[in-house]
Amino acid sequence: MDLETVKEQSGPREFGPADEMPREYREAATRMIQFHANSEIMGAYIERPFIRQAPSLDRKLAVSAQVQDEVGHGQLLYRAAEELGIKTREEMLDELASGEGKFLNCFHYPLDDWYELPMIMFFVDGAAMRRQATLKRTSWEPYAHAIDKICFEEGFHIKHGEDILRTIATGSRRDRQRLQEAFEKWWPRILQFFGPTDDDSTHGGFATDVGLKTMSNDDLRNAFLNAYVPKAEKYGLELPEYPRVEYHADDDYYEVYEEDLDWEEFFTVAKNEHPTGAGQIDKRRRTQKAVEWVRDAIESPDTTGVSPAAADD
Amino acid sequence: MTLEGPGDLDDRERAAVEAELRCLGDDEFVTAERYTEWQVRGPTLESDIAVANIAQDELGHARLWYDLLEGFGHDQVDLIWERDPAEFRHATLVERPYEAGDWADPVLRGYLYDTYERLRVEALSESAYAPIADRVEKALGEEEYHREHAHNWLERLCEDAEGRRRVQAALDRLFPHALTLFAPTDREEAVVDTGVRPVPLSELRREWRNVVTPFLGSLGLEVPVADHAELLPAARGRDGDHTDAWESLYNEFTFTYEQLGRESAPALMPEPGEADADV
Amino acid sequence: MKWEVFRQDKKKDYHTHVGSVHAPDAEMAKQYAQIMHARRKPANSLWVVPKGEIAEVHADDAGVEMGGTTRKEYRWATNYNTNESFAEEIEASQREQEEAEEDLAEADR
Repeated sequence: MDLETVKEQSGPREFGPADEMPREYREAATRMIQFHANSEIMGAYIERPFIRQAPSLDRKLAVSAQVQDEVGHGQLLYRAAEELGIKTREEMLDELASGEGKFLNCFHYPLDDWYELPMIMFFVDGAAMRRQATLKRTSWEPYAHAIDKICFEEGFHIKHGEDILRTIATGSRRDRQRLQEAFEKWWPRILQFFGPTDDDSTHGGFATDVGLKTMSNDDLRNAFLNAYVPKAEKYGLELPEYPRVEYHADDDYYEVYEEDLDWEEFFTVAKNEHPTGAGQIDKRRRTQKAVEWVRDAIESPDTTGVSPAAADD
Repeated sequence: MTLEGPGDLDDRERAAVEAELRCLGDDEFVTAERYTEWQVRGPTLESDIAVANIAQDELGHARLWYDLLEGFGHDQVDLIWERDPAEFRHATLVERPYEAGDWADPVLRGYLYDTYERLRVEALSESAYAPIADRVEKALGEEEYHREHAHNWLERLCEDAEGRRRVQAALDRLFPHALTLFAPTDREEAVVDTGVRPVPLSELRREWRNVVTPFLGSLGLEVPVADHAELLPAARGRDGDHTDAWESLYNEFTFTYEQLGRESAPALMPEPGEADADV
Repeated sequence: MKWEVFRQDKKKDYHTHVGSVHAPDAEMAKQYAQIMHARRKPANSLWVVPKGEIAEVHADDAGVEMGGTTRKEYRWATNYNTNESFAEEIEASQREQEEAEEDLAEADR
């Protein structure tokens, strides 16, 4: 199939492994799905300390299940990406560990404590869910299939995140202060979650033309703000003065003053060069290196000196 | 004679029931706490997801046993979050830290622990204290998967020279701590003769060694043969004496609870004993 | 040799199991599958998989407790119900979970 045909025919779940897709399509789809899969894994790294630090048995169970789901979603997504025939799962996981793999800006910043957790579990996961819902209509069918399962499972993550947010927000004055501080620290990063305005987006145009992406960054961010700004306000959180966000009631639109956001940091993060993000990647690299011997043992066992019964296997 | 609930117990029986439940609940809770360290650190994405499930199952079992202690007027706060670390009664096996990447450890530890848990919980199916006997099935229902998981991994690892070396090292290190699973509390005599657990720990230990020694031996591993008295580590856990790893673990898992300064632990779902949600 | 057949009715659907065919190799299995499972109602795609390569775990197997035996409500969106309103995609996720719960209840009856 040539590129023109792809653009003409593109629609929800239109293309699958049986179609001969041009290299440009396969590369763009790989880039997008690999980014998504990497983000699931690195998001799990951000949340995992709170399995241990959860302040009740039920919260511990829920956070453990959330981290588990993120890894499960990574597993589904790497498979959807693998079917494009550009990279294997091993290659993509190696790239993630080596610092070559890219992932969402918010997962480059480890959380300080429980007060910051709802920033990821409610706002960032909520933003991710917003984006994912639109990907049920992506043109790469295996990606849409993975998204079906992800959306099915992920609802509870945001609801649990909101439950944590509510508990803190209805606590002491000190709790509310710390929550507000966490919010102010995270709010600019959350606004940058959907990337720069469409004009500046490097790959957005092509991905939209071939139906991989079904909604623009701007529209996604606006839909997110529509649902989540009222939530923030409901829990007593005040939007900081900067970056400026103005609501225009006539066309139900949130104007974000992009010049108030630190895009230099954003692009440093995007290149995996921000120190905190590099630290997260380093964690991934170290933990993966530490278990490499297990993968070697199961893939190509060295049977020297092991019992005959086992060696016959 | 069956004891139907807290109201049927005299002081000695009550102390016996509480001691037994604390050992069970604390073992499960601390085991799970350690397992979760493998989340996002497992050798493959699939093994990561499996170990998370096992951790959640064990936490579910901790809920089963702690919930029965709540029948004696305790709540989760005094059972876990505000409890003095020296009052925890888990065996030292479950609190030992992992070395980075040493997958042989959780696999072997899981095998030793799950084999023990099955024997102890099976013995409790005959408990004179009915609420314990009633929950045995729920706890055992999930154990088979855990043991299969450990079996499969041990077999795979022991087919490889490096894998087997690592499992052997874990065995040498953990076996003495595993024996603390059978260390008595100061209520052991009452637990047995009130029938709360009709089988003494010494008997369970014999059965356990009869299961684990031949199985591990069949994988080409050398299992310690000395008497338990010779092998036992200095700290036994069951008497409140723990290894150095316990305090830091305790400080980590109580960190947020302390920071929030609340006096409650949020519940998100019904207690284990409540009727199943109407689906 | 026995082959299990998975059929996709139309483009974009999931493949679901519809039956099996006996055939000496994959090429012939595909031919038979078309006759057996797509002759009246044409399919968009068929998969054939050697039966021997399918490993099964069954809910009735000894020691198998799929979904576990202790409470797992913490992983259901439906467990976190409050009077809140949620973003539409969260509501959709919850609806899908509710439907799955209903299907399970249906199967139990």
